[in-house]
Amino acid sequence: MAKVLMKGCEAVAEAAVRAGCRFFAGYPITPQNEIPEYLSRRLPEVGGVFIQGESEVASVNMVYGAATMGVRAMTSSSGPGISLKAEGISYLASCKLPALIVNVSRGGPGLGSIQPAQSDYLQATKALGHGGFRVMVFAPYTLQEAVDLTYQAFDYAERDRNPVFLLMDGCLGAIMELVELPEMKEPSDENTKKWSLRKRPDEKRPARALTPIYPEIILEMENKTRGELYKKWEREDVKVEEFMIDDAEYVVVAYGIAARVAKEAVITLREQGYKIGMIRPITLYPFPKQSFHKLNYDKVKAIIDIELTIPAQMRDDIALEVMGRAPIFEYGRSGGNLLDDDGTYDAIMKVIKEVG
Amino acid sequence: MAKEYKKIYSRPYAIMPVMSGYCPGCLHSLATKIIAEAVEELGQQENAMHILPVGCSALGLLYWRGDMVGAAHGRAPAVATGIKRCCPDRLVFAYQGDGDLAAIGLAEIISAANRGENFTVIFANNSTYGMTGGQMAPTTLIGQKSTTTSEGRRVEDAGYPIKMAEIIAQLEAPAYVARFALNTPKGVNEARKGIKKAFRMQLEGKGFTFIELLTNCPTNWGMSPLKSLQYMTENTMKYFVPGVYKDVEVGA
Amino acid sequence: MKQSILISGSGGQGVLSAGMLLAQSAADSGKYASFLPEYGPEQRGGSAKCTVLTSDKEIISPLPKKCMYWICMNEQSFKKFGTQLKEGGVLVYNSNRVTSPITRTDITAIPVPSDQLADQLGNPKAANIILIGALLAARKAIVDPEHFLKSLEEKFASKSDEIRELNAKAFKIGADIGKDYAE
Repeated sequence: MAKVLMKGCEAVAEAAVRAGCRFFAGYPITPQNEIPEYLSRRLPEVGGVFIQGESEVASVNMVYGAATMGVRAMTSSSGPGISLKAEGISYLASCKLPALIVNVSRGGPGLGSIQPAQSDYLQATKALGHGGFRVMVFAPYTLQEAVDLTYQAFDYAERDRNPVFLLMDGCLGAIMELVELPEMKEPSDENTKKWSLRKRPDEKRPARALTPIYPEIILEMENKTRGELYKKWEREDVKVEEFMIDDAEYVVVAYGIAARVAKEAVITLREQGYKIGMIRPITLYPFPKQSFHKLNYDKVKAIIDIELTIPAQMRDDIALEVMGRAPIFEYGRSGGNLLDDDGTYDAIMKVIKEVG
Repeated sequence: MAKEYKKIYSRPYAIMPVMSGYCPGCLHSLATKIIAEAVEELGQQENAMHILPVGCSALGLLYWRGDMVGAAHGRAPAVATGIKRCCPDRLVFAYQGDGDLAAIGLAEIISAANRGENFTVIFANNSTYGMTGGQMAPTTLIGQKSTTTSEGRRVEDAGYPIKMAEIIAQLEAPAYVARFALNTPKGVNEARKGIKKAFRMQLEGKGFTFIELLTNCPTNWGMSPLKSLQYMTENTMKYFVPGVYKDVEVGA
Repeated sequence: MKQSILISGSGGQGVLSAGMLLAQSAADSGKYASFLPEYGPEQRGGSAKCTVLTSDKEIISPLPKKCMYWICMNEQSFKKFGTQLKEGGVLVYNSNRVTSPITRTDITAIPVPSDQLADQLGNPKAANIILIGALLAARKAIVDPEHFLKSLEEKFASKSDEIRELNAKAFKIGADIGKDYAE
């Protein structure tokens, strides 16, 4: 399939449709408006349902409804709207419903800024909603990766009976790049017919209830099962790019748009003779813990956490794995201000000079 | 000589053969029963989809037999939208209380009604937040006491009780909007007919249907069940007037 | 070699469409391309800016601090982004609106009265195409002008022949100015 120049939000939307997504509910909020706008035209073309919900809250609950019927459903928003969805996402997790939630993040907290930021790492990876559940969090750094991860997201969601979270940012959402789009998958109820409330014509089955309330004993059991699932993710589903880390003395850690800028700086610095590499988490949860244990801490002089957020949000997860074996530095911009090649290069050079 | 008995009435299929845990004299169980009867009379036991709210009526989870989805507080009309839009052939109805529909869920009900979603919402109005112990509801009457209006509801503090049937009847899209009171056999029979009509209209694709049921809460009103029925006649129904507020099947 | 172009102006001047056209034509010619818009909340009158990158290799970072080329369509953005043009870079500016003096001596500045020329042409909206014409004539390495013209044609395929001809004319008018600055 030939490559086409597409905008990030639209590429994600199209990838979702090709993955079999046939329901979208969402609410306008910058910088993800292109997702609902695109799907409002596209979903009817494939016999899907588009609805502009009256709020982010309503939208995630509409997705919840669609998901109970075994339909591949998604919603998208930005930070403030994702906060509103917290309860709905918790309900999705509680009822063990697959769904895709996309955050095209902007400056925060509060209504923040309409410009891009990576301000929602903690929200996405620690507590998208109450109750201690986790979701798989994908963080693409190119539009091609965004397309590929979106295309796989529903499969993971149905396999695990859990919502999946795609963390983009306003930059990736707005950028236009060449992407190769995947083949159109037709929706099928193979993965959902055992539990969904949908009835095939003339199907007779015992009544089913999907509800987020449980007696204590069952809730404990469900949570234990969830814990086992998360451990499985850690063993089998981590996605990471380890870029030139084998002999690295300085290791940059970055994801998403920050990793684009950081990688360019790393390449430039390597050309100048510095032994520098980058660990780029692609799944933010499960976090690529093992990558940090591959580093040679006899050589590593600094870990540099580069994020489009201040203070750095990934830091604690990095520190847990680094275990004090190397100092961790932070560099970033916030409030909707972007990183740039020169500023990032300078910041890394500053650290290099400081640690020698 | 053995007598032959003819069964003329039984618990509807859609009600589980269990004792309900609703408070003695609570009209929720009566409301649930007449809904179940309407479902059965229309032959929709296998096709009905009951969306549960948050509040006392969430207990319907234990008493209803049929597919159910528990919705978050106030969001039942949105959840119903997702379900009905994907599976238009199901008989979809939401059953909601005061807080669910008239407070946190105000946006959802008005928007769903305004969009003319082809499902039925049944609103149990008993002027209180029962499950949480009797706080003021949007439908609490002026002067009515509650745990958050110990001197009785005052207009200056809390405005007026909200009349949902009237509000929804003013929207263009809804097809059938009616209010019934469950405190008399006559009222129960009218409600029974109204619910069946609403379900029938849904199955015929006529659009959004809304039934407001005036119910009671002996526990949080602090009165006996019989007294609560009287209270409804003397107070509730003077403000929330039963009647049909919109019906596209009747005249212009 | 990664080519970086900054286009700035006010909302409604066609800043973003210019950027998209450049990116699309680069992609059509087989290059890697990226386009990143940035705009204020206003639809008209607020600022609009975009960064276009073209390259023969995959584009890693889409966020250069400074660009090699700058198309500036109004005074406000001229004052704002003056430091974002690299040494040795090329500035193509709308001389009808950019009134501040060009004080930098380490760049090539190409004045183009694009508003006036577009009006004369009978198509005020083609001002951005005139400016692109000037830039591509001065620096062909960004995108082959032929490829740009082809993408321009395709973009307006559904419009009238007249519009397409006017666009081609606008590009030529700009190119005639820009070619005098070619390396």
